[in-house]
Amino acid sequence: MITVESLNKTYGKKDNIFQALKDISFVIPDRQTTAIIGKSGSGKSTLMHIMSGLDHPTSGTVTVNGTNLFTMKSKEMDKFRANEMSFIFQAFFVEANQTCYENVMLPLEIARVPISKRRKMVMTALKAVELESKAQNFAATLSGGQKQRLAIARAIVNKPSIVFADEPTGNLDSTTGEKVIKLLFGLNHVLGCTIVLVTHDHDLAARCQQQISLKDGEIISMHTTPVAHHTNRKVGA
Amino acid sequence: MLLIDIVRRALRSLLNAKTRTILTAFAIAVGAFALTLTLGASNGAKLYVNKIISDNFDPTSLIVASGRSVFDRTDTSTPQEYDDRYGSVTTQLGTTTQVKRLNDADIERIKGVEGVANVREATSVGLKYITRPGLRKYVATLQSYNPAQRPDILAGTIADPLKAKTIILPEAFLSSLGFSSAQDAIGKQVTLAVQKQLSQAALQSSVASALSGQPGGGAATQAPAAELKEESYTIAAVSKKPSSIQSATALYLYANADDTKALNDYTTEGTSNYHTYSFAYAQVADGANQTNMDATQKRLEKLGYGVQSIIQTQQFLTQLVTVLQGIVTAFGLIAVVASVFGIVNTMYISVLQRTREIGLMKALGMRRKDVGRLFRFEAALIGFLGGALGAAAAVGLGTALNPWIAAQLSLGGQNLLVFQADQIVLLVLALMAVATIAGLMPARKASRLNPIEALRTE
Ligand SMILES: Nc1ncnc2c1ncn2[C@@H]1O[C@H](COP(=O)(O)OP(=O)(O)OP(=O)(O)O)[C@@H](O)[C@H]1O
Ligand SMILES: [Mg+2]
Repeated sequence: MITVESLNKTYGKKDNIFQALKDISFVIPDRQTTAIIGKSGSGKSTLMHIMSGLDHPTSGTVTVNGTNLFTMKSKEMDKFRANEMSFIFQAFFVEANQTCYENVMLPLEIARVPISKRRKMVMTALKAVELESKAQNFAATLSGGQKQRLAIARAIVNKPSIVFADEPTGNLDSTTGEKVIKLLFGLNHVLGCTIVLVTHDHDLAARCQQQISLKDGEIISMHTTPVAHHTNRKVGA
Repeated sequence: MLLIDIVRRALRSLLNAKTRTILTAFAIAVGAFALTLTLGASNGAKLYVNKIISDNFDPTSLIVASGRSVFDRTDTSTPQEYDDRYGSVTTQLGTTTQVKRLNDADIERIKGVEGVANVREATSVGLKYITRPGLRKYVATLQSYNPAQRPDILAGTIADPLKAKTIILPEAFLSSLGFSSAQDAIGKQVTLAVQKQLSQAALQSSVASALSGQPGGGAATQAPAAELKEESYTIAAVSKKPSSIQSATALYLYANADDTKALNDYTTEGTSNYHTYSFAYAQVADGANQTNMDATQKRLEKLGYGVQSIIQTQQFLTQLVTVLQGIVTAFGLIAVVASVFGIVNTMYISVLQRTREIGLMKALGMRRKDVGRLFRFEAALIGFLGGALGAAAAVGLGTALNPWIAAQLSLGGQNLLVFQADQIVLLVLALMAVATIAGLMPARKASRLNPIEALRTE
């Protein structure tokens, strides 16, 4: 469970001050899919970064499974990030001069997964995004959609319990976008991952169990559609 | 991250920036090159000095003279006090010095000192000439042969002790004395001639009689100058031309101690030099043990003798080498210091270029410690590359040029540059350590990057 309590985030100082998030509070239960929607510049990415512990709020707390992210020691935080969660960035951030295989292996290296186990995990993740044939190709040679899928493979390779996805379909045509979405929902169904995604697409948001709408850093509406069959699913099933 | 992952990533990052890596490593390579050559030269010089020492001296012997001044004659700026006990005054290189010599009483005294096993007077006879029937005459110096010496022999054998009336002939005399080869000379006879020195008294009387115009005085003036003795010696061995540093001894003939002494006595009879020696070799009982050497040296010094051990001679010889070595080392170190800045610069660029990658790795939960390690490894690898390249180049070049250098400096078969694997390994490790230290600051910067800000950079 992720609990967000009265988050505020301000950028700049004095005359130049800008409040990107204003008193944000909500709860995301385990194994739920949540969509964050809002116009460009409304603070969606900022919120995601803070929820995942990448960025610090000006005030307020984020609690994951009872632990306050911002009182964690940096070592524990790194461990949490390497083993429990993953982040799909709006701009993918795949390493162009490394092969797809190497890109996907990075989280496993960081989490110190034994070398003998890596190959199978990497290939499973690549297969899930239909990139197994590109394993030895350099990421630079991939199309935009393929890069996005590669970023997803990297996000799921270590079987995280929470996936943050910042506009995972933003750069994709509708068919590829649909594939990616199916993949993410599949993760939620099969592995029981908690998924938080940012989107501009209201149809996609409607397919999530919870929708949080932001405007100028404030929550303007919050909607929950409980879906019964999800609550019975076990993590890692 | 596991160590292997860090090494692999550091290697790949270096390969991705080949030119930059090579240029940075080049600066260290220059330092490694100079330092490897210095180490090689210092090894070579040490071996060379040891060889000279073992060829010429017995390490368990002490050189004993009447006083320190024999060893420290270099100071000619202050007047030397005249000592009645020592008659001879000689002129060396335009400076008049009184050489204080040991006499038989001194030798007996030295023999009596605790720890001295035996004493051998150093005798050197200025021969009138050496020749063979029908050939020209050549001046030469005859020295008493020290059994501890091991000169390189071209032909023949050296018995221990050297047989009576035999000599060791230096290679340089071969053609002058009409031998076609070293082998040809073995067993052949040579004639050594010595002349009686004029005693002060004989000189004065002859001059006085000449001045007084007494009849028969003429005969007296002629007689001392003409007293010449020729002796026949068999060539037992021919010694190889020594290296250039020993050029002073290149033409020394060697005979055994008794023969040399007899000839010396003949030439000095009636002069103040009769039965005196500029120094003597005191062999120390169980001299391989340094404490025995030191203790005996102290006892001899207490009696007022000047004593020098081979170690001290060795130190003197190595001094010059050490100075030269210091200069090359300084250059090497300057290159290493300069390369440190190169590494710092390169690593900062590497961190800047990979800011986004670092941000990503940190966002994925890579520990700060591991990020730092990644960059320190990268720096260490540059150090390894430079060190290995420089050392390899130095060893390659040194090995190729060794024969030529040895010939130019006439080192007598000894190589100037002697490389030792363990030293080179240590050097490369030290350079890796230096490079790692140079990489500390950039690595720290990388490990402290804020992931979100790092990811925001384009
Ligand atoms: N480091 C920063 N310094 C100053 N202002 C910032 C910084 N990061 C974000 N902002 C501002 O905060 C606001 C929210 O940015 P954020 O990236 O969260 O928007 P977003 O909702 O993700 O937009 P988009 O849909 O375009 O990705 C924007 O006005 C942005 O300019
Ligand atoms: Mg955004």
